[in-house]
Amino acid sequence: MGTLPVTTVRPAGWIWASAVVFAFAAFFLPWIGSGSISLDRVLAKIPPDYPIFVQLRVSRTLLGLLAGGSFSLTGCLFQAMLRDSLATPYTLGVSAGAALGAVLTLALDLNHLLGLPAVWVGSMAGAAVILVIVAGASAKQGKLSGVRLLLSGIALNSICTAFILLISSVVKDRRAFSITQWLLGSVDAVSYRALFVFAVLVVLVSIIVMTQGRGWNLLAMGEAWAGSRGADLRRLTIVGYCCGSVITAAAIALTGPIGFVGLIVPHLVRSRISTDNRILMPCALLLGGVLLATCDTIGRIVLAPAELPAGAVMALIGGPYLVWLVRRRF
Amino acid sequence: MNHRLAVRDVSYQYDGHSVLNGVNFSADGGEFIVLMGLNGAGKSTLLDIVAGLRVSAGGEVLLNNRNLSSYSAKERSRQISHLPQGTRADLPFTVRQVVLMGRYPYADSWFESDEDHAYAQDAMLRMDCLQFRDRLYATLSGGEQQRVLLAACIAQCPSLMLFDEPSTFLDVHQQLQCFSTLSELAREGALCIAVTHDLNLALAYCSRLLILNQGRLVEDFAAHKAAENPAWLSLLSPRLHMAQTPEGKPWVHYR
Repeated sequence: MGTLPVTTVRPAGWIWASAVVFAFAAFFLPWIGSGSISLDRVLAKIPPDYPIFVQLRVSRTLLGLLAGGSFSLTGCLFQAMLRDSLATPYTLGVSAGAALGAVLTLALDLNHLLGLPAVWVGSMAGAAVILVIVAGASAKQGKLSGVRLLLSGIALNSICTAFILLISSVVKDRRAFSITQWLLGSVDAVSYRALFVFAVLVVLVSIIVMTQGRGWNLLAMGEAWAGSRGADLRRLTIVGYCCGSVITAAAIALTGPIGFVGLIVPHLVRSRISTDNRILMPCALLLGGVLLATCDTIGRIVLAPAELPAGAVMALIGGPYLVWLVRRRF
Repeated sequence: MNHRLAVRDVSYQYDGHSVLNGVNFSADGGEFIVLMGLNGAGKSTLLDIVAGLRVSAGGEVLLNNRNLSSYSAKERSRQISHLPQGTRADLPFTVRQVVLMGRYPYADSWFESDEDHAYAQDAMLRMDCLQFRDRLYATLSGGEQQRVLLAACIAQCPSLMLFDEPSTFLDVHQQLQCFSTLSELAREGALCIAVTHDLNLALAYCSRLLILNQGRLVEDFAAHKAAENPAWLSLLSPRLHMAQTPEGKPWVHYR
């Protein structure tokens, strides 16, 4: 029985390396696009380069980085909580709820609600409603169990999906087109104010989630196992469910459903770097952002001046890769 | 009345029907207790209640004269480790990572301290799994996995250790190794309680037997007195018969 060589890269090294890749992507990706942008003109704030760069490219890249990170972090979280390597941000129904809320506002042709873009309000409201329903349905004697969350989440997921299909088949004209467009998931330029709120949310949630890294490791081995190692199951389940739901709903509100990144990145990081959630989660957050932002960049250059939605690029590249990974590892 | 563990009149209901009914016993460090009974007799439930994973419907559990429900989760798990049945890891954790999980109640920092690593190392050495510390837990055989989980429980340094069918999936030699380790842990001062269905394994290693029947604790005797009144065997099966090993120890054979 030989021993395998111990990994020589220190755990923190992987996190720093991911952070470097993230920073590199944040600086580099905005320069790529259908029209070339000159550094001199941007620095001199000369239009059209300067406004295109700042208003479109940079905000879009930042949104891709943050949304991809949120989906990936939630993927890691739900996979550990449910001990299911196929769990995605979609699994617990919240994403479908957010999507339903957004589709509803598109179908009703609402532009603004409460002074905010209606799609955001719709997604957040949809997510909140589903969160309460799923949590309520799976709580029993004051306890939340992963299995019950999973089953009620899947049930609610199908119900919401059914409603989305129903609405899109009833709605006609350009609204139907905008629903289809939205459901594909795309990274578009958003206001810096929205980005700032989203960024604050992602940072807060990441801190809360990542400081519980050891707890997620325990949960990934089973609830009974985690409980007798001293983990507070109830608190972990509630914290994990709420944190994952909040950033997923926020990400969906801004980009549409691109949850696939939340399946592929955690698996990629697990197979290359570590299963330990203390390393996995920060790396997945950073690299998931890079992956989505990169997919978005690819989507805006391959068919330029037309654009492929980031969600489609992600599925086209990520799907085959995942199949290959599964063939190698399972 | 100073016992490490005192179970007082514990009862438990599940979906309206009674699983445990007025269970009473107390135990101290150094004892290795085997809990037996037919399937559904309430063994795992009792173990879960003693572990603090389930709250009993009636009665109380005292650990070091203090009600178990007054312990925080971390406080409790510095005292009690529980090895549940059927722990699987679908996600690719290494053996070292699994054993280090036993140090959860001690570490506050992001990563485990050198001390935690030292405890894990000792536990792996003891359970003979140090040689595959960097392998993936999921790729080990059932027996090797069980040793890794036991190592995690040992790394937890508890004074009360609970094992739910620890020798399931082990080959005969590993079963013997497992039970002699448990009795060794008890000799070093821990209180060990294990559920098993293997009568002879229990009689060879444990110091005391508890038998649950339909949620009631019906027998409680020292292992060396097992042969004195073998009527308890009929609680487990009518086909059991008490005999003796050549050394004069009790031995159960089947008819």
